Amino acid sequence: MRTLTADLLAAQKKATAVPYVRVQIRERIGDVARLTWERLYSGEEVDRPHAATAPGDGSLVRVRVDAAGQLLVQRVATPGPGSDFGSWTALASVPSTSPVALTAAGAAVLLFYVDTDGVTIRLRESGDYGQSFGSPATVATASGAVTSLAAAMKGDGTALVIYSAGATVYRVKRSGGAWGSPAAWSNSIAGVTGLACYYSIDFNVIVTGSDGVGAAKVWTAIYGDGFNQPVDAWSLLMELSRADAGSNVTFRAPFLDRPDLFRLSFVEKYTGNQAYARPLWSHVSRFGDFATNTWREPVPFDLACEHGVAMAHGGGHAWLSAPNGVWRASTAGSVLDLSDDILELREDIAPFDGRVRITLRNDDGRYSDLTAGDNRLIGPSCQVDVSPGYVTDLGARISIGPRYWIEGWEYDCRPGASTFVLLARDGWWLLRHWRARREYAWSAGESSIFQILSFLLSRAGLECGFLNGSDALTALKPSFAVHPGEDGLTAVQRLLLMVPDVIRMAGETAMIFNPEPDEAPVYAYGADHAILQGRYAVTDCDLNRVTVFGRGPVVEAFDWPGISDTYDRLLQVHDLNLTVASDAQARAEALLRKAAMASLGGEIVVPVNSGQELYDVVSVTDARAGLSAAPRRVSGMSLHYSRAGKPVYQMRLRLGAV
Amino acid sequence: MTVRRGEIKSFDSGSYVATVRLAGSLAVWLSGLPVARNIAAGEVQAGRSCAVIFFDDANPQDAVIVAVYT
Repeated sequence: MRTLTADLLAAQKKATAVPYVRVQIRERIGDVARLTWERLYSGEEVDRPHAATAPGDGSLVRVRVDAAGQLLVQRVATPGPGSDFGSWTALASVPSTSPVALTAAGAAVLLFYVDTDGVTIRLRESGDYGQSFGSPATVATASGAVTSLAAAMKGDGTALVIYSAGATVYRVKRSGGAWGSPAAWSNSIAGVTGLACYYSIDFNVIVTGSDGVGAAKVWTAIYGDGFNQPVDAWSLLMELSRADAGSNVTFRAPFLDRPDLFRLSFVEKYTGNQAYARPLWSHVSRFGDFATNTWREPVPFDLACEHGVAMAHGGGHAWLSAPNGVWRASTAGSVLDLSDDILELREDIAPFDGRVRITLRNDDGRYSDLTAGDNRLIGPSCQVDVSPGYVTDLGARISIGPRYWIEGWEYDCRPGASTFVLLARDGWWLLRHWRARREYAWSAGESSIFQILSFLLSRAGLECGFLNGSDALTALKPSFAVHPGEDGLTAVQRLLLMVPDVIRMAGETAMIFNPEPDEAPVYAYGADHAILQGRYAVTDCDLNRVTVFGRGPVVEAFDWPGISDTYDRLLQVHDLNLTVASDAQARAEALLRKAAMASLGGEIVVPVNSGQELYDVVSVTDARAGLSAAPRRVSGMSLHYSRAGKPVYQMRLRLGAV
Repeated sequence: MTVRRGEIKSFDSGSYVATVRLAGSLAVWLSGLPVARNIAAGEVQAGRSCAVIFFDDANPQDAVIVAVYT
């Protein structure tokens, strides 16, 4: 249960109380800003190597290489609609396929390119936000042709250049104003097709290329600055995307930025039937950092190109840049508060499903135009934050509650009444809408169930939280697969069948915990907090005997009192992942445990408890049913708030055994 | 239990397992799938279609390629 302030706790227990429900809408998915890109420029420049950066004055500096081998630079002082993104200034001659890199910090802008010999990496530095660049300086001379180049800079001027020659990535670091010597990284791959780098607590790197067996991959890596990785040490490569050898799919042209959280783009190129090359973008989960490697499923971007879209941010906007295009999106988060317009709100939360239906007044047509003003925040999949509460002596108090994403809306127009109805679903819905677009497979012993759950949830843009999980959650490392076309919800439910744990969706975070049978109640109903209606049920268990067949072990678990009452009700489970008797035994007992939780039923109707959550253990006192502080687990809950007609502010809690 | 269609990408006649591209997975293969021993090794050729039974939908080690066809 969410912690409540003392005044809110007192208010919800009073015989009469004034309800308050706050509903706000944000343009966010999984509590991550959904960037709405607006294309500001469409030019005729050819698709060749390029880069972009946003210095500290809000300007946008872009660089590209043209077919004639000219290095061209552009600076737009106040980029926006109507800006001239088509004027370029030649800065140097370079190989026509030469990679380029840009990075900025404050007024400093560093522009790296490869000289006409193909191996000498030059730097042109600006100290005036890219208005002018100094003479070329040599940073490094590679041992072979430089094929990829990326750079990042700290606020103190420390800079890192990474480049590839052959299959090796090298780094050159500037500390105290002096460039060091090139040094090869500590990883090994078969080929490099692209590099990206961005500094935030460490030097964070994206690598595209191929591994030792020819599989094309996108990896993340960290060159340490002492936070997630020791200073000047490379992390291992972490896989973000893959395509097997012979699939005709390769990855290239990565870019990385952190306008709010880490966001990246890279190009997926397919050379088979109906060939394509298009950028994909992704971001880390809400609380994930670069090191957690929890990226949402890469999403295609509406552009055909092989050299990708460079990313930058500044002046309240995120920027995308290609030689022939510039896009921007606001990074300022707007909020639309609907609280005062609510006529009725119905929320229903169950295992694997949560939804809300919000009826708003529209008698004056205030929601008739969803393109005007803040109403534009009412759009598909926009985030709806519902926070129940009460008006207390200290003012309106809420408990930050569930989070939903808009599924749709309706206008209900009838004589004398006009309402606007929002329909929204919770994180399970986001998970259900993630579908595997390829085979995802984990070998036995490779990843724990928790790690696989974290991966799947992050692919849907959700966070994975851990309260008090079972041993099996981290100890079992099954052979597991999600086949193409299967949805994330199905995959997560299959994983949860292997453990006693359950998931409560708390906003964008899937909280995983093991519901222990001896859990103490966190709240009491029937004494201070009134029960308006109650129905209490006892139901037979669907099963009281479980036999688990593993690869070798065959074990059983019994509910002996249940067998005594109803004779045995058997469930057989076959799982070749179970090779140890103790793991098989734990599985059998977990299945019995989940069946036991369903052995009690019923529901109570109570004044809204603002902090109530699914799977909480509560105590119920109702002398009419012979219950005195009887522990029950909340197995489902509904909230009904109505200001139209007869006021209602009630909660219906479905009850199960602890 | 489900049956899925795939395409043989490679075959190891020693361990009698195959790497398969399951329908819908453009660029990633599933490796180590057991092949029914009643299928002659010479018939398990890259590029041929195959049928895979997954006894456990989520466990590719609890599956078998039961047919190879062109």
